[in-house]
Amino acid sequence: MNYIQLEKLGKSDSSEGTYATVYKGRSRTTNEIVALKEIHLDAEEGTPSTAIREISLMKELKHVNIVRLYDVIHTETKLVLIFEYCEQDLKKYMDQHGERGALDPNTVRSFMYQLLKGTAFCHENQVLHRDLKPQNLLINRKGELKLGDFGLARAFGVPVNTFSNEVVTLWYRAPDVLLGSRTYSTSIDVWSCGCIFAEMISGVPLFRGRDNQDQLLHIMRVIGTPTDAQFQKIFKDSPEIQVKQFPRYPKMDFRQVLPKASPHAIDLLERLLKFDPAERVSAAEALSHPYFTTAVTQTPFGINTAPGSMPPPAFNFPHPHGHQPSQQQQQQQQQQYSRHPNFIANPASVQQQMQAQQAQANMGAFGTMQFHAPYGHNPNAR
Amino acid sequence: MSTTFYPLASLSQIESTPSREDGIPADLEEDLRAYGCKLIQEAGILLKQKQVAVATAQILFQRFWYVTSMKQFGIGDMGMGALFLASKLEECPLRMRDLINVYDLLLQHSEHEHTMGPKSNTEFKYAPMSYFGSTFYELKDTLVVAEMQLLKRLGFNVLVVLPYGTLINYLRVLGLTSREDVTARAWGYLNDAMQTPVYALYQVPTIVCASIYLTTRHMRLSLPSEPPYCWWELFDAEWEDLWSVCGYIMRLYRDRSDEERSIVVKMVNKKEVRKWLEDHSQGNEGSSNGTAAE
Repeated sequence: MNYIQLEKLGKSDSSEGTYATVYKGRSRTTNEIVALKEIHLDAEEGTPSTAIREISLMKELKHVNIVRLYDVIHTETKLVLIFEYCEQDLKKYMDQHGERGALDPNTVRSFMYQLLKGTAFCHENQVLHRDLKPQNLLINRKGELKLGDFGLARAFGVPVNTFSNEVVTLWYRAPDVLLGSRTYSTSIDVWSCGCIFAEMISGVPLFRGRDNQDQLLHIMRVIGTPTDAQFQKIFKDSPEIQVKQFPRYPKMDFRQVLPKASPHAIDLLERLLKFDPAERVSAAEALSHPYFTTAVTQTPFGINTAPGSMPPPAFNFPHPHGHQPSQQQQQQQQQQYSRHPNFIANPASVQQQMQAQQAQANMGAFGTMQFHAPYGHNPNAR
Repeated sequence: MSTTFYPLASLSQIESTPSREDGIPADLEEDLRAYGCKLIQEAGILLKQKQVAVATAQILFQRFWYVTSMKQFGIGDMGMGALFLASKLEECPLRMRDLINVYDLLLQHSEHEHTMGPKSNTEFKYAPMSYFGSTFYELKDTLVVAEMQLLKRLGFNVLVVLPYGTLINYLRVLGLTSREDVTARAWGYLNDAMQTPVYALYQVPTIVCASIYLTTRHMRLSLPSEPPYCWWELFDAEWEDLWSVCGYIMRLYRDRSDEERSIVVKMVNKKEVRKWLEDHSQGNEGSSNGTAAE
């Protein structure tokens, strides 16, 4: 193998049970530190569907706030995914750097911005993450936050299919999914972002239910039970939802729930945590919220920065003139993505195909991956 | 509308598929692809699998033969692997044992029909494999390998865009949704097109236009089709492509002779493909050698 396996970093659990072991590794050619995710191939199930999803989606998602998949090594008994290395996940980061888990406002803002940026990029590229939680957000030494673990992610497009209802760890699961929706879309990830936002501010998970029903009650106790009219609308949008009776809870003031949060933060949180998925802001819209675009020092009580916590990275830290340059950057990335020779946007005419063909030189359209290293097999050999 | 990128075969892959390079004639390859897809469809029905998974499987199966020769992998095994993989992708996984049993039944049935002939009186009797027998475990290994090979050779590019939503949109735009016979027929052509390589060759809008075109021609519905007013141009389809897709679909319905059919049914595994190739190349060499010897 082209990588030296170093110490074990942990096991990755998904809803389908423990499926992979993660090691730290070092490239023999570049000496770069990487994360090696080893997936054992099961004779009972074949290739785990989590691995199929993770590889097929992540190899195309190239963004600073998404963990990069560099390579895939394929042997008889296992698959090894080679990822960009990140020091720790958000959960551990909060335990180590936060004050009883709570992060200082500047760090929260920086992480939240990066989280929404990564999420917006996924959504632009027709990918739902479906399992956003602090354990799946990785933080590297530079303070960059990256979305990882796409084991539950899926591509979405023209809706022809209903999706699995068993997604997202309970505490970060959107109420429409808890009610049984199978036609959810990007709003499901936005809900999780909201939960994570609150958790970074307070240090504890916002809604800690024991089961599906309990989780719904936890949510309603804070954001209030929807009115009958609202419920009617939700049922109309997702007819597969089973109608149930719920106790009527009034909406709580988020300032009571999160006394440390600034008014802008509260306002953003309100928009992220809407019961009706149709009312939730999109990740891209959230990025231009005043919480990110107005000057700092909004914290009401001037909380001291916890010792040892790192300052937010400067390169994509929002300033009054916002994220326009980085948005441009992203557009450029988008364009690059669509120029990807394997993905001919509209090769209707032979001419276009010929052009794409030239770009592709002698590589087959299906058989090649865009990884920098050879893919570990020779398609022509048996 | 959102754009989703899905891979299409490259020009060189279309010009010469790996199977053709190995000496399998183009029309035989087309028939073998169609038969493989038919098996996937039948298995899907018996397993009560969702059509989205079946359609995805057929498209992956078609793509696979642009990177691999039928001399290396059998169409039966790969079809089974494609259905297994597609069911995972569409979040309605199948049990291996069910899939293997269904394929075993289908293959036994078609073998019976073609060895006995359609007019024979012997009734088909399915002989189930034994629960712990080696046949089952061998097939299970084959299935895992087939799935792996699909992933590996397609470079994990398993994103498939299905045409159904597009069809409904186009029919609406053309004002054809009120006629159920029209929608059903166009839908049917799209499903039959799954047995042809078109989903690996053309964009979904082109294929959808072809299905509508065939429907309107067969049902004598007139739509503006004279340049400069051609309805398919509304959906960015080129006439040449549309016509080519129609050709692929209509070739499916060509009557095959009994002999042609039994050749295809027999060549469901790679052993028979290799045998066929040997016989044919030997036949050629044999005749030339023969004349030299004489």
